[in-house]
Parts: sequence; C-alpha cells; structure tokens
Amino acid sequence: MSDPRVVASTVSTQERISHVVRRLSMGAHPDVVAGLSSTDDAIARALDLSAPAPTLPPMTPPTSYKDAKVLDIVSTIAWWIEQMRASPRLIEERLVWFWHDHFATSIAKVRVPYLMHQQHGTVRAHATGSFADLLHAMAKDPALMWYLDAQTNRTGQINENFGRECLELFTMGIGGGYTQQDVVEASRSFSGWVVNLRGTRFTDRLERFGIESWQSGFIPPRHDSGEKELLGQRGAFDLDGALDVILDHPSTARFVAGKLYRELVGLDADDDTRKRLGDSFARDWSIMGLVESIVTDKAFTSAGAVRSRVRTPVEKLVGIVQAGGDTPLQVGGGGQGRRGRRGGAGNPVGQALRTIGYIPFVPPNVGGFPKGSLLLGPQQLVHTFDLLSALQEAPVLPAGKDGPDDVLARLGLFDVAKATRRVLEKESDPARRFALAAMSPEFAVT
Amino acid sequence: MTEHMSRGMDRRDFLRKLGVGTAAAIGAGYTLSVWEWSGPAGAAVVRAGDLGDPKGRTLVIVEMGGGNDGLNTVVPISDGRYHDLRPTLGITDAIDLDGEVGLHPKLAKLAKRYKQGDVAIVHGLGYDDPDLSHFGSFGIWWSAKGGSGGAGWLGTYLDGTVGFDDPLAAINIGPGRAPALLGRESFATSIADDTGLQPNLPSWIDAADTDSSVVDELMTAWSNFEPAHVDTSAIVGQVQRAIALTDEARDQLSKSLDDSARHASAPPDDATAQYRERSVTDSLDLAARLIKSPAKPRLIYVNSIGDFDTHQGEAQRHPALMEQLDAGIDSFFTSLGKAADDVVLITVSEFGRRPAENGSGTDHGTANVHFVVGPSVKGGRYGEQPSLANLDKNGNLVHTEDFRRLYATGLKWLRVDDSSLVLGEDFKSFPVFK
Repeated sequence: MSDPRVVASTVSTQERISHVVRRLSMGAHPDVVAGLSSTDDAIARALDLSAPAPTLPPMTPPTSYKDAKVLDIVSTIAWWIEQMRASPRLIEERLVWFWHDHFATSIAKVRVPYLMHQQHGTVRAHATGSFADLLHAMAKDPALMWYLDAQTNRTGQINENFGRECLELFTMGIGGGYTQQDVVEASRSFSGWVVNLRGTRFTDRLERFGIESWQSGFIPPRHDSGEKELLGQRGAFDLDGALDVILDHPSTARFVAGKLYRELVGLDADDDTRKRLGDSFARDWSIMGLVESIVTDKAFTSAGAVRSRVRTPVEKLVGIVQAGGDTPLQVGGGGQGRRGRRGGAGNPVGQALRTIGYIPFVPPNVGGFPKGSLLLGPQQLVHTFDLLSALQEAPVLPAGKDGPDDVLARLGLFDVAKATRRVLEKESDPARRFALAAMSPEFAVT
Repeated sequence: MTEHMSRGMDRRDFLRKLGVGTAAAIGAGYTLSVWEWSGPAGAAVVRAGDLGDPKGRTLVIVEMGGGNDGLNTVVPISDGRYHDLRPTLGITDAIDLDGEVGLHPKLAKLAKRYKQGDVAIVHGLGYDDPDLSHFGSFGIWWSAKGGSGGAGWLGTYLDGTVGFDDPLAAINIGPGRAPALLGRESFATSIADDTGLQPNLPSWIDAADTDSSVVDELMTAWSNFEPAHVDTSAIVGQVQRAIALTDEARDQLSKSLDDSARHASAPPDDATAQYRERSVTDSLDLAARLIKSPAKPRLIYVNSIGDFDTHQGEAQRHPALMEQLDAGIDSFFTSLGKAADDVVLITVSEFGRRPAENGSGTDHGTANVHFVVGPSVKGGRYGEQPSLANLDKNGNLVHTEDFRRLYATGLKWLRVDDSSLVLGEDFKSFPVFK
C-alpha cells in the first residue's frame, strides 16, 4: 500500500475548504463553507471562539440511583447534536467530541443520565482550555470514577482499573514507558475517592463525610497515604499529586498531541512532529495552542490529508442534518417509530446508531469509539441509510439548482469520482438522489 | 438482478488479476487508536485457495471481552491456595468434574455436556511477556502475532481460502466489526441482528411503497458507486470496494434470512435496549439460523456479549455472565440439532484475571482457560493447569500453553493441517476431535 501522503491527486480549493471545516468542526455546514474563499479563511473561521459558548440546559437529578431512567440521556444527545450542527464555535464541537472519545465513559455501566450530563458539562468547560485542568477535573468526575471503579479502590484493596486506563489511555499511551508497578503506584495514589449515588446503602455515611448526592469526594481513611514511587518520582502522592507526576512525564504531552494530530490531520504524526508538538504543549497545556500548531503544519491542508479518515456515524448524522437546512433533528427515545421492517419501537436514528454500534455516551469500552476500517463493515455502510431518518423530509433545493453537484455541495462534497456523479445523474427522484449522495463513497470518508 | 450478478463476476475477475501486494485490504488500515496498524499492509501471507475447503464445517468463536475470570469459570477445587487468594470471591459450590476442577455453578448445562463428553477444557493458554492492557493483549490475540496490528488471524485464514469471492464465508455477529476477521485480501460480513443487511429507509423515500422494491432499486444504484477501476490505496477506494461487496452480501443474506425469520426477534419495545448489549443467546440463536441456512458460513465470530472486566462487583456480575454464556451455548447446540455435528464452538478472551482478589473484584491477569464445544469434540481436559504456587512478579498465572495452539485446534477443525500458513509458526492443535 502506498503512503497516503504521496497520493498524487488534485484537490480543488472548495474541497480543501470543506476539509478544513469538516476536521475543525463536526461537519461541513453548507452555509459556513459557502462563505469561505480560502483554507486560511476556513481555519480562522473554525478557530474563532468569540461567540458566546452555548449553555448546557440543566438536568434534574433523579431521586435515587434506582429511579434513574437511562433514556433521559436522549435529551442531552439531541441538544449536543444540535450544537454540532449549528454552534458558531466550530472547533469547540470537534474538541468536545474528541475529549468524550478520549475519556470514554459509557452510560451502559454508569446508568445515571444525570452523571453523564454533568460530565458533558465538565468536558465542555475545559474542551478549549487547559489539558492539565481537564485531566484533573475528569479524574474526579463522578461518572468516570464510577465507570472505572474508583469507589472500590481503597488502601489495602487496590483496584487497578482507573490507574491503568489513566496511564494507558488518558495520558501516557500504550508503550509510553510505564510499568505494571507504576499502575499499582498510581492506583494507590488515586485510592480513597468515592461517588455518592443517592439512595444506595452508602449514601448516609457518605453524606456524613460531606459528600453530597451525585458528587465525588475523598475519604481520608480509605486512602493509601504511604510513600509511592511513580515514574521514578518518590512521594506520598494523592490523586492530584500523582496526576502532576504523570503530566510531568514527556510521554503524556506527546501522546495527547499525537492523538489530536491524528484526529485533525487524519494522518499519523511522525516522531519528530509528535515530540515538537508535545514538548511545546507541555509548557502551558493550552489545547487551543496545540490546535493552532497542528493546523498550521502544512500537512493539515495537504492533498494527502483530505479524505484520509473514515467518517464516523455521528459525523455522518451531523452532515445529513446540516444538509437538510434547519430541520430539527429527531432523536427522541421511546414512542412508535416509523413502520419499520424491523418492527421495533424506538426512534429510527437511535436504532441505526445502535445497530452501527456508535451512540454518544455509549462507547463500546474505555478505549473509545471504533475508528478507521472498523467503521467500514457491511452493517455500518448499509445502515447509514437509516440515519437519513434524522430528516423529517427530503431537503428541497431551489429549482434549477438541484442537480448532482448541488446535492453534493449540500453535503460538503466537491471532488467526486465519475462513477459517483453518474449514479446521481441517473437518479431522477430528488429525494432518492439526496439519499444516494449521503451513501456515496466520498461521504463515507472525511 | 442479472446485471448485478454479472457485475459481481467482473469484480472477482478483476480481483484475481491483481498481483500480490497491489490490493490493499479493506481491513488493512486499522486505525483503532489503541490497536494501531503499524506500517504498510504489505502482501497477504497466503493467497485464496491455499488453505482448502472445510467441507461443510463451521467454526464459531465466542469472544468474552474484558477478560473472563478463568479461575472462577473452571475452579481448581482441590487447591487450597485458591480460597486463600479468593477469600470472598472464591466459588465454594463448583460443579465437581473430576475431583480436581469444577465448573462455576451457573454453568450447569455446560457441565452436563461435559459429562456427555462434548466439552474440552483447555488450560493455561497465554503467551510470553503478558500484556495487561485490554487493547494490547487483544491486539496479540486478534492478530495471533507477538506484536499487535496487521491482519486478524481469521482474516489471514479468509485471505487463504475465499478471498473476496464469498462475503458470507465469515460472519461477525455484534455491533462492531471483529478485528480478528479483518484480512488483507478478503471481506467478512458483520451484522448486529437478524435484520441482516436490510436498511430502513426514511419515510420520505419509501412512503408510497410497501414492498421492498425501493430498497432493491436503491441498493442496486448504490452498488454502482464502485467504478471499473478501484484504487484501494486510498480509503475512498476501499469504501467503493466495500460498498459493492456489501451489496453482494446483502443479496445473498436476504435469501438466507427470509422475511418471517427476520421478524422473529425484533428489538424489544423497551427502547432502553438501545443502551444495552445483546445477549450471547440472541447472537448464538442467529448463528444457529445462519448455519442452518443455504448460505452456511464457515466462520462465525460472536463478540460484545457482556462486560467481563470484573474489577468490581464480581460476586454479582460474574455469575450473571456465566449464566448467560451457559444458556447461550446450550440453546445454540440444542437448536442446531443434527447440524451440530458439523459445528465446533471455541471461547476466547484477551486475558484471565488476577488470582488474588482486590476486595470486590479481580484485576487484569494473564493465562486463561477456554472451552471447545461440540458433538465432534472428545471431551476432557487438555493442557496443563497453571500452578497457583508459582505466580509471576505481578501475582499472575504463568501460562503453560501457547494460546495459538487453541487457534491451531480451530483451524484443524476447518481442515487446515499446517497452521503456520495462518499463525506464522506451526502450532500443534490439541487432540480434541473424535
């Protein structure tokens, strides 16, 4: 297989602009793309955070753990996808998604939508801020703690789940230079934190320790206060202290920088680039500073970067709703779906995301959502059709401006294969033509 | 339809003409962040046709993701150290098999099959320098290589048997794609449930139609997205290829899963099902139906059947997982009936769990025990049980058998005698077949 960086193809300016918007937000909104004339323009537009941040509507906590209704998360998902569709703060939506995938937490285990909703607020608060602040906040996030069993990690009975995933997935990366002993030492440092799930048998006791309902908190007698040796540093570290040691290790900044590079550019950073980006990132942990360094790397707008990633089902969904104009997205749970060959109730878009295995707040495991070729299976491809149900009706294009190129432009596609154009030309029904454009090979990549 | 079939033939001819090393696999570019594909895909190790035909046999792999606790699955009942290491989680009422080991009490149906002689227990499976990361260790298990990345081991098998010619030769049942099935010059089908590969169109497309002709027309148009010449060095080329193969698989699969069957297990009205994993029974029921269908697959891979990563709450969670596994395997073989003679089921997992409990669960371990099940199996225990007296520096079991011997056993069932073509080295199968 040839190196994707040396793909000899010409990419139009329009396609490059669309590429910049797609990568620096969650979809190439046609109105945004239409107003841009160069990739520099597009980058400046995407990184502009001068508009006020959207306010996450508050959610009422459940009266008790067992009264939590998983499906209440649907309102948060709908609100989130609306931000992905239309928020003027483009890069924020890309980063919110990136950090959700990075600190992957699933409601399938957490069960309480309120906790996931609160976590979403925490991710949003730090998404464009400081990675060090984000890491410290996420390490104390009740949903993440519950997901990774922090509450059973206590002195003498160390649970390695959070410690291992923190080193492997959140900070240093697999092969980042930590040992099994570092996993144990980090876990000892993290011990003593608990989550107060209201209405469980521990609630009263936790409240006596001043830990309120649905909050995490620290119980000193459960903490292993002994000396640790973590990544070569010695000290009686607690959670924050251990995180600072981990942040000090050069692997952390390089791993996170390399991962964000891959997300935005779509290619792997080479070792030198990773080191350069990481070492600069570690100076102030500014996430936007890192983003700027990545997008000014000439690889970002190179022909090899365009369409070098597989488009995720959520990105497809966002692209479809953006193409549909201002049609509100229906992801509501429960209720009767359309007459389906599947005969099931529930919302068709939710069903499709489930079938594809890609629902926000439901990553398959702590490693995050599937990527790359794992998204090109038959069921993922076929059930992209189902995502079109996010639109209540087919997008209507003005007469005379509804040809194949117009439909493709609604989806942010400009350079397509002859075969793709031929299929769209052959289809005379506008609704079917739109559906086929959303099923095109070009829309399956980004 | 005729037009469609002829297109399929053209594509196969086209693929045959491709030389080794020019066809980048649909599955080659793993970009799963935690299982990085390391470097160019290179050529397939084996070519279609090299590995022969299983002559009607099917191998079913059931993957217990998260790391199943083998010590609480096949319990070393005669070893006093077991209860020292597991003061609260130790199983005290295991189903005694031979005085030395017993099965978890929730594996009663499997124990019955063991006593009938249909279950092989394989002990001590692992590899050197065990990786305690889910993703690192899964990379090793999926690829069957000392390092992670590259093609999946069953993908390599498919490269060497059907190539791109039969997209239904291997079917993954689960919400994602099984990395073990990703080959360099082959294509495995993945389905989540018995709707198969039948899309649900939005009402604004098919409101006026009640039959399936709209779907068929659209799918035919869709398959035409594959151009005459596909450049699979670009991802978009891989998608073009995948679209056409998917349409071919859909066409064949819809013949196998007729309409009445397709409606047999519609998702429950309880919409919270969207946030739950499917049960192993659901997936294995579907596996049984596929095996009894005209398009009988030679490989079925079942994954995402529950969270076996029992760091916490193991006393409640693990028995439930065992009960589901037991019910799933039992109903699978029962519903197969006579067809079971041609079927062998093997369990896998990325690792076992730490012998010493952590207070409410167990952390990541190493060597593990697995099952080989089917009427063609010569029941009993194989391999050597790792000693609880000789743990490694992290307190984990030391493996006694290379896990690839389990794979060699599965390959043997598929009539591949020389496992080195798939596994890199010739690993000896366990003599578990009658």
